[in-house]
Amino acid sequence: MPDILSIGSSALLSLQQAINTTGHNIANVNTDGYSRQRVNFDTLPPQQSGNGYIGSGVEVDSIQRYYNEFLVGDVRSRTSSQSGFETFHTLSSRLDNMLADPNVGLGPVIDSFFGALQDVASNPGSMPERQVLLGEAQVLADRFHYLDTNLRNIGGEINARIESAVSEINGLANNISEINQQIVTATTQAGGQPPNDLLDTRDQLLTELAGKIRVTTVEQSDGAVNVMIGNGQALVVGYTTNQLQTFPDGFDSDQLSIGMAGVGGNITDLSRFLSGGELGAALDFREQVLNPARNELGLLATGISATVNSQHRLGQDLNGQLGGDMFQPLDATVAAHADNSGASSMTAVITDATQLTGYDYRLRYSSGQWTLTNLTTNVSQTGAGPFSVDGLTITPGGAPVEGDSFLVQPTRQGASLFDVVLNRPEDFAAASPLRSQAALGNIGTGDIESITVNDVAGLPLATPVTLTFNPDALGPGVPGFDVVGIAGGPLAYDPATESGGKTFSLGGFEFTASGDFQNGDELTIENNTGGTGDNRNALLLSGLQTEQTLLGGTASYQSVYGGLVADVGVKTRQAEVGAETESALLSQAQAARDSVSGVNLDEEAANLIRFQQAYQAAAQVIAVADQVFQTLLNATRR
Amino acid sequence: MRLSSVQIFQQGISGILEQQAKLQQTEQQLATGRRIQTPSDDPAAAAQILDITEDLGLMDQYQRNANLAEGQLAQEETVLADVGNLLQRVRELVVQANNATQSPETRQSIAVEVEARLDELLSLANSRNADGEYIFAGFQASAQPFSRQGGVYSYGGDDGQRMLQVGRSTQVAVQDSGYDVFVAVPAGNGVFTVDAGAGNAGTAVAGSTSVVGAFVPDTYTVTFSQLTPADPVTYQVTDGSAVVVASGNYSAGDTIEFGGASVRFDGAPADGDSFTINPAPRQDMFTTLQNIVGVLENSGSAPEQVAALNNALGQSLEELDQAIGQVLDIRADVGVRMSQVETQLDINDSFKLQLQETLSGIQDLDYAEAISELNLQLTALQAAQQAYVKVQGLSLFNYL
Repeated sequence: MPDILSIGSSALLSLQQAINTTGHNIANVNTDGYSRQRVNFDTLPPQQSGNGYIGSGVEVDSIQRYYNEFLVGDVRSRTSSQSGFETFHTLSSRLDNMLADPNVGLGPVIDSFFGALQDVASNPGSMPERQVLLGEAQVLADRFHYLDTNLRNIGGEINARIESAVSEINGLANNISEINQQIVTATTQAGGQPPNDLLDTRDQLLTELAGKIRVTTVEQSDGAVNVMIGNGQALVVGYTTNQLQTFPDGFDSDQLSIGMAGVGGNITDLSRFLSGGELGAALDFREQVLNPARNELGLLATGISATVNSQHRLGQDLNGQLGGDMFQPLDATVAAHADNSGASSMTAVITDATQLTGYDYRLRYSSGQWTLTNLTTNVSQTGAGPFSVDGLTITPGGAPVEGDSFLVQPTRQGASLFDVVLNRPEDFAAASPLRSQAALGNIGTGDIESITVNDVAGLPLATPVTLTFNPDALGPGVPGFDVVGIAGGPLAYDPATESGGKTFSLGGFEFTASGDFQNGDELTIENNTGGTGDNRNALLLSGLQTEQTLLGGTASYQSVYGGLVADVGVKTRQAEVGAETESALLSQAQAARDSVSGVNLDEEAANLIRFQQAYQAAAQVIAVADQVFQTLLNATRR
Repeated sequence: MRLSSVQIFQQGISGILEQQAKLQQTEQQLATGRRIQTPSDDPAAAAQILDITEDLGLMDQYQRNANLAEGQLAQEETVLADVGNLLQRVRELVVQANNATQSPETRQSIAVEVEARLDELLSLANSRNADGEYIFAGFQASAQPFSRQGGVYSYGGDDGQRMLQVGRSTQVAVQDSGYDVFVAVPAGNGVFTVDAGAGNAGTAVAGSTSVVGAFVPDTYTVTFSQLTPADPVTYQVTDGSAVVVASGNYSAGDTIEFGGASVRFDGAPADGDSFTINPAPRQDMFTTLQNIVGVLENSGSAPEQVAALNNALGQSLEELDQAIGQVLDIRADVGVRMSQVETQLDINDSFKLQLQETLSGIQDLDYAEAISELNLQLTALQAAQQAYVKVQGLSLFNYL
């Protein structure tokens, strides 16, 4: 016979638990990652009587959290993306702001340098203008250094970010493995009842971890969860963790790589597999923005140095000497991998700075030959070398061993090594080393229009070059110039048909003769001794500003820099848009998860009222049981 | 959809934060007047802005160069005008000295003035600009180009011509070398010279010359002969290889033509008098003037001396005309270059204006649009705040 008292008290006890759970929900309304809980009631087993089963009350079957693992998984994955884009955008916008700022960008100083060059062209003999030019050249060099230093500082900051992200990831991994253990124990102790709050805490830790790096999780049958990063490397397996480690990059010890110690203590490099989260973003930023930006800046520095120098060397300075280098000549850097055998070597020389691309190249020795791979386009070639690629000549040397590798960075250090080597203003070669003169006794009106020096080998001329017009220079009736003083004559020139101008090449220079010549007319090409008022070379130098010299003759200096600014701008914009989109998606995922798991106070208030009313009713059941018993007692008392 | 309390709160707050961020950006745009704050706002435009800014800088530089070129050309123009006037004055003096009314003494005094003009010409040719550079020295601007050594004038400069960049693809010459201006003046009439033989005894004078068709360059000799005074005067013209190219009888005032040259002769030549015709070489103005001085200082009054004087001064007059013509040509050329610079200044200015307009179109803010945007954002922010306050006030617990 069921006992009304015990039915009432089972209801009181169960409802107390329900009210407690509601209170717990209300208490945790602001707890991150908390999933609201509910009490599942169940009827107690009925008792059999002659006329059927009579119910015997209520019990709490379980306390369960409102939870959808797919929605939580979505939040986790969105968190990785969102924090990745956010970090990328933060880093990238610093570069973005720096490059286009007129006070620190490169554009204005390039303009000023060439402005000063034009001023020298206007007044080639004057010292103050030359002094200003050297000053502006130094400002240009300083700006390159400033920008490169900033880029390297950002690189240093990325190292710091990597260090801290790795240590946080390791800490979180430890926490997760500990909680795994607690969950398994708690589940066993409670006879299979879920330890709701521990599960929430673990989910929250996983979400935090996802903010650092993209993870995949696999839940085990015992309740523990395994965590994988990259392309399947286990970070947490049950109760144990594999710690991430940082170590200097094999080619560039200034860059940190990330790896995991495998069996036997060998560290496997995971850097290129890691993505998402703060750590993935830092690595992506370094690969996609920072290093290309340094290469591009170095490309510009190398290009300016090479093109200005080569024109400057074709000129003549104020003292009548041939021009030297104006800027430090820059060359490619080659790094051997830290694990190389040490018996092989590699040299890389920039043969044509105008063909450089700003890409890096890796060489790897395998099966008896070298494979050269462009790290941006992934185009490769195989052979014994030397290799000629994009204005570079790369020559392997020594006795390579299988697996030896080298990294060639043609322009990475360009901006930091860019420097002015011309110290004295009078050494600036504004003049051209040759000049021409028509003899006073000439009968014809012909003259030399222009001389262009292409190669200073053979200059200054040992003796002046004399061209004498002779109607029979190349045989009877074939007019031209007899040449004295240099090899290469006679030169055919017919005043009747070529008086509009004909260009000849002698030694390392070219000249254009035009007009009418008579027999015996003489032209002289001689060293431009005392040519302090000559500005021809300065004009050619200042013309470099707008000439498309770089990237295979497709880009001027300014457009290379503009390309860099636009590249960084586009990447920043993408990251910004991505961060916005991912934020919105994360909010949506969060909303979806909260719509299941989040606490709503109004709902809890309603539940509170519901359970309170039920509790009052159950108390009434106790009272009724009491009255029934009293009635019985009163009936039997005598 | 079911909402959690935290979500309701969060949504309200993030709405407000978002509106604030937008407001801040508009505020910044309004404060700077620029639509693009960082390259990522519009990467393509940012690269364009760099290009346009460079072009604007170049335009300023070209304007500076053009102004400089104008100044230098103006100075050259002034000097050339002085040279032209000076030569004109010498020409007047030569015409005067060539007059039959002059005596050797008066010619002496004319020689003195020509000599003074010669000095003046030398100092004009050695003119310097504001920076102390010799303007007619070609590239060798720091050394004095013209010097005199015992009546011989030499040019130490070269044939160089300095150019200045005054436009994107325009260079203009801002000087002419002393060689082109003072030295390379064609002698004679510009095509050939006529020299009287040193031993001419008659009074024959070579008069006006001209070119008929094309002059065949060679050395021609015109020889007059008259065996006895009763015979007619005959002439014979031989070329450099002693081949006779023309001959005939001569009477005063005849024009003799040969090899494309036409020379008028006056006066009576003595038997064996000769004239030599050479293709014109180049002769500097100083030598021309120096020759005049020499002729004037050594004139005589005998008929053959007068004839020699007339011959020499006639030649000098032609040479002066060549020099005057040359100076005029160069002045005209300088004038053309000055107007070219002027035009280029205008072109640069209008291109600059156009660039500024483009730049402004790319980077400048449309204020009307931005301000209406600002108002809209302010309203939206207020609405978000009010909505937040209202919604947050709602709770079932208020009624428990």
